Amino acid sequence: MEVKNLDFSYGKEKVLNQISLKIPKGKITTLIGANGCGKSTLFKVMTKNLKAHRGSVFLEGKNINEISLKQFARQVSIVHQYNVAPNDLTVEKLIGYGRIAHGGLCKRDKAQDEKLVSWAMEVTGVTEFRDRQISGLSGGQKQRVWIAMALAQNTKILFLDEPTTYLDIRYQIEILQLIKRLNVEFGITMIVVLHDMNQAIHYSDELIAMKDGKIIAQGEPKEIASPEILKEVYDIALKVEHINGELFVLTV
Amino acid sequence: MKKRKAVYFSVLVVLLLGLFFISVNLGSLKVTYGALFRGLFVEYNETVATIYDLRFPRIIIAMITGAGLAVSGVLFQAVLKNPLADPGIIGISAGSAFVSVLIVAFFPMWYFFTPIFSFLGGILACVLVYSLSWKGGFSPLRIILVGVAVNAVFSGLMESFSAMSGQNYSGAASILNANISMKTWKDVRLLAGYVSIGLILSLFAAGRCNLLALEDKTIRSLGVNVNGLRAALSLIAVLLASITTAVAGSISFIGLIVPHIGRLFVGSDHKLLIPFSMLFGAFTMLLADTVGRLIAYPYEISAAIIMSVIGGPFFIVLLKRSDKTYGS
Repeated sequence: MEVKNLDFSYGKEKVLNQISLKIPKGKITTLIGANGCGKSTLFKVMTKNLKAHRGSVFLEGKNINEISLKQFARQVSIVHQYNVAPNDLTVEKLIGYGRIAHGGLCKRDKAQDEKLVSWAMEVTGVTEFRDRQISGLSGGQKQRVWIAMALAQNTKILFLDEPTTYLDIRYQIEILQLIKRLNVEFGITMIVVLHDMNQAIHYSDELIAMKDGKIIAQGEPKEIASPEILKEVYDIALKVEHINGELFVLTV
Repeated sequence: MKKRKAVYFSVLVVLLLGLFFISVNLGSLKVTYGALFRGLFVEYNETVATIYDLRFPRIIIAMITGAGLAVSGVLFQAVLKNPLADPGIIGISAGSAFVSVLIVAFFPMWYFFTPIFSFLGGILACVLVYSLSWKGGFSPLRIILVGVAVNAVFSGLMESFSAMSGQNYSGAASILNANISMKTWKDVRLLAGYVSIGLILSLFAAGRCNLLALEDKTIRSLGVNVNGLRAALSLIAVLLASITTAVAGSISFIGLIVPHIGRLFVGSDHKLLIPFSMLFGAFTMLLADTVGRLIAYPYEISAAIIMSVIGGPFFIVLLKRSDKTYGS
């Protein structure tokens, strides 16, 4: 995926200003930045939820404005930050929704649908809940179900908007490990928005740091996690320490 | 689970059939069921023929109307993500009724096209309610408030035009008062033709209705154009509400009560809820009409009035409960 010269404003306020970037294939790329830096807007433009005022987003060389929602959903899946489902819907049925973009009214490859739903449940570890109702699951389990629904779309690119926000630390790590595993085992390109600096550093291959609607830096975590860049991104001096050869940002 | 739901469906069908036969034989003319059967299928019988021409159309119209309005309610509730939406309460029926009255009163030569004009009136009301209550999303209570206002305006206009046209006992009055006592087989055919289209479409759309329970963003990420889906489902809902209104008049609360009770029995899956609401809507409306015929015999109370008397308190209870579940 590639973004070229993207501009976006809400009224007079410019939220994205000449954004250009390339998302490396088969890697985990994380968007970081302070609140209001424009990363959510960029996320929305890249997922066809908002239209850019100038500039374009390209998917395999094609402008996403010219791709139908359905075609887009066959190539890109998205896990949004906030999700709701009817209380009495079962896990398997919900994950089955991921197959909607594949096949029309009449032609539907049922065997393929079932195979992918089973696979999605398997890799996210929710197979044992398949007949349970969504309302009976814990926060971490629910999040895995939403990821499974996106996986059932069988796409090469997966967007995740703050996938750990509503979870306590154990489930946060569980979800991040799942993301890493999906990336390594299946080569899915991940674009993630994360708030926690250290999680971003440890689970990403590439970081994109934003401030005031602009990209300040893009590169490997060890390049980005420098006190200078962090100071610029978050407007606060943060220490960066090496412990056992790994980088940690001291956030206290 | 599945077995229990199948039982609910079977019981409902039996109840509906039972009510149908009770209703057929209720009134000044009475025949035994044996005579009724013979009169209908074997040989001519004057009493049965009279019942066939007078009572059957009204009963069938009550059932089709109930089914149509109930499904219309289900669709509006899905589209607006609002369990309180009802084509009567949010003014769709009033918009349809107003345009129908206009046509019947002032352009009687277009009588045959009344359903089409009624449909247009329904779309007008629907567009008004949607656009006036849209504020980055549909808040449940705002829709109801705007709907109440739109409803009031159209009802007022309808009554004024009906009064101006000076006809007291006309087609216009029958729409106004939701009076289905003088209906004929012609009305049945008209109603059945259009409503069955809407009902069949609604069955095909059931899977899509389920999707609307998710967040809009999530639905888009699945490759579905949410606003297009909303527009299509709204059209079906308006079709059902407006055609029934053109023939049977404006009736509120069926579309509210029936789906709500339906959810208690078969859950929120529209693939079950829509067919269940059809049957249960038919049953409820026929029950209301039958009770209306019986309760003050020989005078009649229209089904619309019965529904208002029962529906009002029901609506208030739902409203009070919805504060907890849906916020304000």
